[in-house]
Amino acid sequence: MVEWAKDGNEPAFRELVRRYERPVFSLLYRMVRDRSLAEDLAQETFIKVLNGIRSYRPEFKFSSWIFKIANNAAIDHLRRRELDTLSLDGSPHAQTPEEMQATALQLGARQESALDAVVSRELGSQIEMAIARLRPEYRSCILLRHVEGHSYEEIAQMLDLPLGTVKTYIHRARNELRGYLEATRE
Amino acid sequence: MTPLTLHPHLTPDEVELWAQGLLGAARAMHLADCAECLVTAERERKLLRDLAQLPRFTPEYGFVDRVMAHVRVPTPSGDFSA
Repeated sequence: MVEWAKDGNEPAFRELVRRYERPVFSLLYRMVRDRSLAEDLAQETFIKVLNGIRSYRPEFKFSSWIFKIANNAAIDHLRRRELDTLSLDGSPHAQTPEEMQATALQLGARQESALDAVVSRELGSQIEMAIARLRPEYRSCILLRHVEGHSYEEIAQMLDLPLGTVKTYIHRARNELRGYLEATRE
Repeated sequence: MTPLTLHPHLTPDEVELWAQGLLGAARAMHLADCAECLVTAERERKLLRDLAQLPRFTPEYGFVDRVMAHVRVPTPSGDFSA
């Protein structure tokens, strides 16, 4: 299929999107917990993959290549959002708590939208909530390993991390998940 | 009770293998003697099962067309069509 796509076969392009849209979208949705944003990131992922198909190296698994690009998109987004969140606390140049407060963005009480309700229905189970509490690096590792079924080696390649780090992240993530789930049950 | 020096506790990797039904019988035997490892292994198996059963989600209808609107399909000559 990839070879056909490289040869400019448009149906092959479409088939590649169809084949991977659900796993890629699911990973992104669980990473950012926002349907519309996950769809934008998934779209960005596939556009990058398909426009760069000629640079794809077959020694790398095709699915690993797609997930690598998708994961980078999610992590980049989450880092940008973290910076935005910090700026809500007020100007970094503020000298006193009063100045901080004066320059902080004031957010009104947020009404739950229809989209929030969808997210809460789809990602509201205890295990989904526990996954959401993991730090992003742990979250992507655990999703790639235990939801998508990639090997530790593939994940290390996808995330550009040493194999030992991937194993440590996944073991810690599983411990944290068990901890959260047990705390919820008590 | 078997001495631990002969049959040390299962490592996290071994617990994962056991939970997936892939741990060799010789090491899996440890669970018959060690209640601590058995509890850990069963909790791990439940967690892995829960994770594996998570549903996949589908993007909104028309996703493929929305992607393809931004893709340049290469022609055999190496040019791109819009």
